[in-house]
Amino acid sequence: MLKLYDYELSGNCYKVRLMMAFLKLSYDRELIEFYPSKKHKSLEFLEINPLGQLPVLMDNDFIIRDAQAILIYLAQKYDSQNNWYPSEKPSLVAEISEWLFFANDLTATSSAARLHDGFFYTNIHVEKCRKKAHDQFRIFDEHLYFNEQQGFPWICKSQYPTIADIACFPYIILSEEGGISRINYPAVRRWCDRFKRIPNFIVMSGIFPAGPQKVPDNEAKQSKILNGN
Amino acid sequence: MKLALSKWFPVASISDLPYRHIFQGQLLGREYAIWKADDGNINIWENRCLHRGVRLSIGTNEGFELKCQYHGWRYANRTAGCTYIPAHPADAPARTICNNTYTCQEKYGMVWTCETPIGDVPDIKGFKSFTVLRPIPINSAYKNVRNFLSSKEIPDHHMLRSKQTEFWRFKTNAGNLLSLVIQPQSGNISILRGIYNLKTTGTEKLRVLKYYNSLMTKLRDEIESQHLPKLHERNPKISKLADDLSQFPTLSDQKHNLRVSVSEKVKLSDNIVKLKLKSIKKQLPTFHAGAHIDIVLQNGLIRQYSLTNGPGETDHYCIAVKIEKHGGGGSKIISENISVGDIMAISAPHNSFPLLRNSTHIIFLAGGIGITPMLSMAKAMHSMRQSFELHHFTKSNDKEAFSHDFASFTNKVITYNDLSINQSLTTIKSLLKKPKFSNKIYVCGPGEMIQNAIKIGLEFGWNESDIHYEYFKNENEIHKNSTFKIDLARSAMSLEVPSGKSVLQILKENGVNLVSSCEQGACGTCKVRVIEGKIDHQDVFLNSLEKEGQNIMLTCVSRAKSKRLILDI
Amino acid sequence: MHAEICEDTVILNQWHPISSTDDLKNHKQITTMLLEEKITCKKNSNGKYFVWKSIDIKKKLLPIKIAYGYLWTSLGTPPTDLFSFPEFYEIDRRNVATGVFGVNISAGRTIENFLDMGHFPFVHTGVLGEEPHTEVKEYDVSICETNDEILATKCQFYQPQAAVISSKGAEVDYIYRIPHINCAILYKSSPVDKKRQDAIIIFVQPVSQEIVRAHTGMCIIDDKSADKDIRLFQQTIFGQDKPILENQFPKKLPLDSRAETPIRADKSSIAYRRWLSQKGLTYGVIPSEDNNLFEVM
Ligand code: FES
Ligand SMILES: [Fe+2]
Repeated sequence: MLKLYDYELSGNCYKVRLMMAFLKLSYDRELIEFYPSKKHKSLEFLEINPLGQLPVLMDNDFIIRDAQAILIYLAQKYDSQNNWYPSEKPSLVAEISEWLFFANDLTATSSAARLHDGFFYTNIHVEKCRKKAHDQFRIFDEHLYFNEQQGFPWICKSQYPTIADIACFPYIILSEEGGISRINYPAVRRWCDRFKRIPNFIVMSGIFPAGPQKVPDNEAKQSKILNGN
Repeated sequence: MKLALSKWFPVASISDLPYRHIFQGQLLGREYAIWKADDGNINIWENRCLHRGVRLSIGTNEGFELKCQYHGWRYANRTAGCTYIPAHPADAPARTICNNTYTCQEKYGMVWTCETPIGDVPDIKGFKSFTVLRPIPINSAYKNVRNFLSSKEIPDHHMLRSKQTEFWRFKTNAGNLLSLVIQPQSGNISILRGIYNLKTTGTEKLRVLKYYNSLMTKLRDEIESQHLPKLHERNPKISKLADDLSQFPTLSDQKHNLRVSVSEKVKLSDNIVKLKLKSIKKQLPTFHAGAHIDIVLQNGLIRQYSLTNGPGETDHYCIAVKIEKHGGGGSKIISENISVGDIMAISAPHNSFPLLRNSTHIIFLAGGIGITPMLSMAKAMHSMRQSFELHHFTKSNDKEAFSHDFASFTNKVITYNDLSINQSLTTIKSLLKKPKFSNKIYVCGPGEMIQNAIKIGLEFGWNESDIHYEYFKNENEIHKNSTFKIDLARSAMSLEVPSGKSVLQILKENGVNLVSSCEQGACGTCKVRVIEGKIDHQDVFLNSLEKEGQNIMLTCVSRAKSKRLILDI
Repeated sequence: MHAEICEDTVILNQWHPISSTDDLKNHKQITTMLLEEKITCKKNSNGKYFVWKSIDIKKKLLPIKIAYGYLWTSLGTPPTDLFSFPEFYEIDRRNVATGVFGVNISAGRTIENFLDMGHFPFVHTGVLGEEPHTEVKEYDVSICETNDEILATKCQFYQPQAAVISSKGAEVDYIYRIPHINCAILYKSSPVDKKRQDAIIIFVQPVSQEIVRAHTGMCIIDDKSADKDIRLFQQTIFGQDKPILENQFPKKLPLDSRAETPIRADKSSIAYRRWLSQKGLTYGVIPSEDNNLFEVM
């Protein structure tokens, strides 16, 4: 049985929830109150993760910490299609790893700014975080724009989204809560819309679903006709 | 930057507007929600919901409507008129609830706008074909970027002098052209946009895009490294709303003041003709599902027809007319004397048959041509992905007439051909057997069918308030032989209604301009609130609960049982 | 951007919440911002609180009040009494401070969002509302002369999951109270005891005209749910409102009736805007240019 040590408002936990939703996995949630009571720093939780960080995933007795690591584990183990983490394609795996690090770097910028503004993490130099986040977003936007031009809708050179997309999505879409506007990153915004339309996408508090795809025309083109006599 | 208001500026690339996306743009400090509807029309609206000021760009593009994220208000393609306020499902939003829209032109692969346009987007010499480059936002004021560009040598490019100061043109060593234009986004941000004068594809395109991307990025970095002082940001003013919007008005429209031309006339079946009406000059007003318009026919006859349009189809109105071989003149004139290209006078849409979208399921029962308002309703329900079923009782020679309208939801439609009265009754009984929470019945068709449906519905335990209907006409005999007084509470007037005249007539004679349409107690357009007095109802519009309530009347037919009525006008 | 000095006496003379007493348990000293002023709050070994402006070297003490689980202070001359909230002291209730959240918006917009039922299906989808059950039925709004507070009564709304322990949909009754320009209390039928009501509070601390700290809490009869679950539920709800609030423009609350389009469902917000206007509030709002536009209800 899968069990996730989880907190609703955490973008890192959301990454794991997204992965499980996309893979249609069912799991138990153990809610750890990150804010205001900082339960992830409590002695009980430090037993589970000495780093005092969320999320943590337990697959029976196996414990995995760190959102990115969990994504790799889940995709490797449970994605029968092998699209989320195509381990047999070295160049894609390399590309994915590159962007997993990028996603991790967002924790120090976009996520930190959000913690400062919303949850009073006062020891954060917020202006610096925002500035750095903008530098990252510029690079990300350029990357996505040229991927689009080459017919790749996702972060990596694949027709399918990968765990790199999942890892980057939360702190990109939550950036405005840290005062980082995305108005100048149109390719990022288009990618966000596409991401939200991946089948089985779920939201978290602070994120709204995308508009509908085209209303599906009915397969049954024949309407029912009943005749009188 | 006063002058800038009459200049055209690009605000987006066409490629920024993919399917069902809302682009957040900004020009001169004003934010825009820019979106392409499913029919290809590009809308540029102020990025602010009229209701509580939320950015529309965080809402959703529903194909033909934009939906606000906060309270789900829907705004129509083109008109930006509000079509639905979910908090009050029974009310048609006032027509004046309309977002601020801005002119839009597509040129050189970009979307351009201008607050007070004089003329069109100017031509840029030498750009018959082009490739749109990746726009580069720069954290610097418009004028800094300008100064920089005019003083800067771009490697391998020679600047061409021209009178069009807002477009820089450069000749490359190879003899091709580059044009740059600056979009003043806000006080301290500008966007550098460029086009290259060859249409490129494939790897060549990628090469050009990459080349200019790095060239323009270098310019950006140079400009930003100048560290020029920041300007004080000024927010553009938000215009106040019309007075009436702040206090729920009763609208008084000018009657029949729209001019349309017949752009299509199609025979849907032997007896049914469809007209497509296009506006001659102005944008047609927003309509709501179930609305009807008055059409003035050549001999002065006025007839009401329901619009069959789907949501957001705002570039034309569609109506379907049943040709009554022996009936009154209206349908005959339409079938015989009206042809494509003719100009007609119509009224703005009236909405007195509102679609209650807060229903979990709707059963539509349509008899014959009574299907028309339901086409529009079913399309609206379908586009909101809400549950419904549509039952159409018809004659076999009309059975194909509306198949085109049903196309996207055929599985929700059942057509019954040539049923006898008894067969129809049994069918309706089987359909209405089980009233459910938050379900509703809508009926439109011949009077007898409506009465039967209501009777059956009530017998099976439906609430009267969950049965909605619209008569084509009032078949009851209407008497005009009473005399009474009316007091107008808000205009402080007291008038006498003599026998032989209607309340509506008297109001009009005295300069109170009440909107009316069918004038026979069927469409509900002329209804007013009654504060005091006993009403003699003669219409077929109000249901019996509303009639018992004694606080609403249709002024075209209903009269007073008491000596005096106080009306809330 | 440098701080403007707040000169609006209407807001200066109010009591403002600056921290829940829960939060203060774990700290000897905290600093926070109130009306662009940095404030220090210290607790001595006897558990007594002292509050002063951080820049004030003389540490002149500011007035304080402990009430409803919060520490309150004022930068002006506050009234002797704070508004009443008797439910807080009912012995069988649990008072849970559900957290304080920073939001980049004015206090007025925050309170207005709290009063608003129409957004439930769209913002709290599946929890406090659900399409197509979107109707806001007619309700009553009055201004209570004796306490000078706004009351919205007979409010009803369909909710698929009305509280932590309820699992199916129902029409829920609400009463809203606005006893203070930046505080509101919502009463809704308790899923445990139909005859009584749970209270949900929002006390807003204006950091600046366009930034607030929103203190949220519950005062409920439910004895099944753990404090943690109640807090997490409330955090989820507030997390959903946050992006809406931060995308409202202008950020200050416009008091002119012609600035935005009210509908009948917004009766309480219309009353609230008028009430603020009549008090002459200018901080965190866009005052109406023409006060004649605000007729008395
Ligand atoms: S703010 Fe847009 S619907 Fe209310
Ligand atoms: Fe809310």
